[in-house]
Amino acid sequence: MIQLFHVTKTYPPKSQALTDVHLEIGKGEFVFLAGPSGAGKTTLLKLLFREEEPTEGRILIDGKNITRLNSRGIARLRREIGLVFQEFKLLPRLSALENVALAAEVVGMPRRESQTKAYQLLREIGLRDRYDAKPLTLSGGEQQRVAIARALVNDPLIVLADEPTGNLDAEAADETMRLFLKIRENGTTILIASHDLELIKRYGSRVIALRQGRVADDLHRVQQEGSVG
Amino acid sequence: MSLFVFGAFMLLQENLQHFLTGLGDQIRINAYLEKGLGTSDVQSLGVRIKTFPEVERARHISQEQAWLDFSAALGAQSSLLDGLPRDALPSSFEILLKPAYRDGPVVEDLANRLKKEKGITAVEYPQEWIDRLSLVVLAVQWTKWFLGGVLFMAAFFIAGSTVKLAILARKDEIEIMQLVGASEELIQAPFVLEGMIQGIAAGAVSVVGLWSLFRFLDRQVASSVGLFGASAQLQFLDLKSIALLLAIGWLLGAAGSLFALRRFVRTWKS
Ligand SMILES: Nc1ncnc2c1ncn2[C@@H]1O[C@H](COP(=O)(O)OP(=O)(O)OP(=O)(O)O)[C@@H](O)[C@H]1O
Ligand SMILES: [Mg+2]
Repeated sequence: MIQLFHVTKTYPPKSQALTDVHLEIGKGEFVFLAGPSGAGKTTLLKLLFREEEPTEGRILIDGKNITRLNSRGIARLRREIGLVFQEFKLLPRLSALENVALAAEVVGMPRRESQTKAYQLLREIGLRDRYDAKPLTLSGGEQQRVAIARALVNDPLIVLADEPTGNLDAEAADETMRLFLKIRENGTTILIASHDLELIKRYGSRVIALRQGRVADDLHRVQQEGSVG
Repeated sequence: MSLFVFGAFMLLQENLQHFLTGLGDQIRINAYLEKGLGTSDVQSLGVRIKTFPEVERARHISQEQAWLDFSAALGAQSSLLDGLPRDALPSSFEILLKPAYRDGPVVEDLANRLKKEKGITAVEYPQEWIDRLSLVVLAVQWTKWFLGGVLFMAAFFIAGSTVKLAILARKDEIEIMQLVGASEELIQAPFVLEGMIQGIAAGAVSVVGLWSLFRFLDRQVASSVGLFGASAQLQFLDLKSIALLLAIGWLLGAAGSLFALRRFVRTWKS
């Protein structure tokens, strides 16, 4: 699903964020991207949704080379990828429902349909009663769940999350992780960047550790240690 | 603002041109005839002159008429003419040109061709005056385009910076639309639309501003009637010019917002 071949990323003038990264992630895998601050986790995710272009190497997503894309190609790629961020990135003027529905609407789903779908997602995620609330009146955990619903509304092949629990307390973080595990059951590939070792230990089935821009470790755990806290 | 100034120049030019056309009625070519031409010769020459494409009207002035005109022009001094024979002045054709041909080189060319006609001895026309008039029109025209060009650049950047504010106000929304894969066109459309509306609005405001300026001037002129006579009737911009102003505003608004989008939205920079 995700393949990187000898990928190097250098930010001008000469800050080398990733060096010769080589990895493959299969469909439906649940992968943590670990590593200390500055290791290149965010950079790797940005390369995958084409916020940044690799300096060298090749990246394939679902078998397609995304190294050279025009703006239309980038838009098409991003419809296959759901994004979740540490700071949620919800629009404060819109309700939870509108935030989720907007993402479907702007890629061409009719308004009615996107709202129905957004409502269904919010219900599954446990926000049935708060669908009309403005993001700032929701707790951090609730906001992140709205953001996850938005990431799912276009039925992505891949969900990329950058420190999704960074702003949440332990309980909300657990809830968020369980949600990701549930999403994975539909065959969605999930890649989560985090430096929360506790969380990784508890939920990680595969952990790719980055250190100074290189893959330092790639651990597969055959059996998950259990997904319930 | 710049649309207003450009419009003001259009207004000035239009009125000047109108005024000059009025003066143009007084641009006449006098073709003096040989003495002793028969009536039929004069008549056929008159017909011949009217076949020139530039000629609007040609009026024959007999020797008798010339004498009367001249003595009337002399007024009190007309006694100077006493003792001169009544046929001392030549008869002539007074030729009025069609408006499109009231231009220095054309007049000169026509005069030369007239001179070659049998029966015409001399041709007279107000050369310098014509040249100076067309020079003024040309100067106003160039000033208009030059100033207009400079001001349009300004308008373009002003429209751009207004849209820039709108873009910055909705930066988060743009970012999220980009992240979920909305197409470039869909994201840009509302800003381009806003730029267009602003451009047209600016054009409309200019036209209204010009209209009030025009009304003001018109009243001033009306209260000093007689200074320029009838040809001083002021003219407002015609529909074509108004449409042009609005269209320019529309285009500038659209171009300005596209420019601002390219500048202030990250992924579209390249
Ligand atoms: N836009 C940029 N311009 C220049 N250098 C950058 C840029 N973004 C990241 N870097 C550098 O690239 C390296 C990797 O950064 P990155 O953000 O990918 O790390 P990270 O693993 O996500 O860190 P954190 O855990 O703190 O989020 C760092 O040394 C950083 O300074
Ligand atoms: Mg990071």
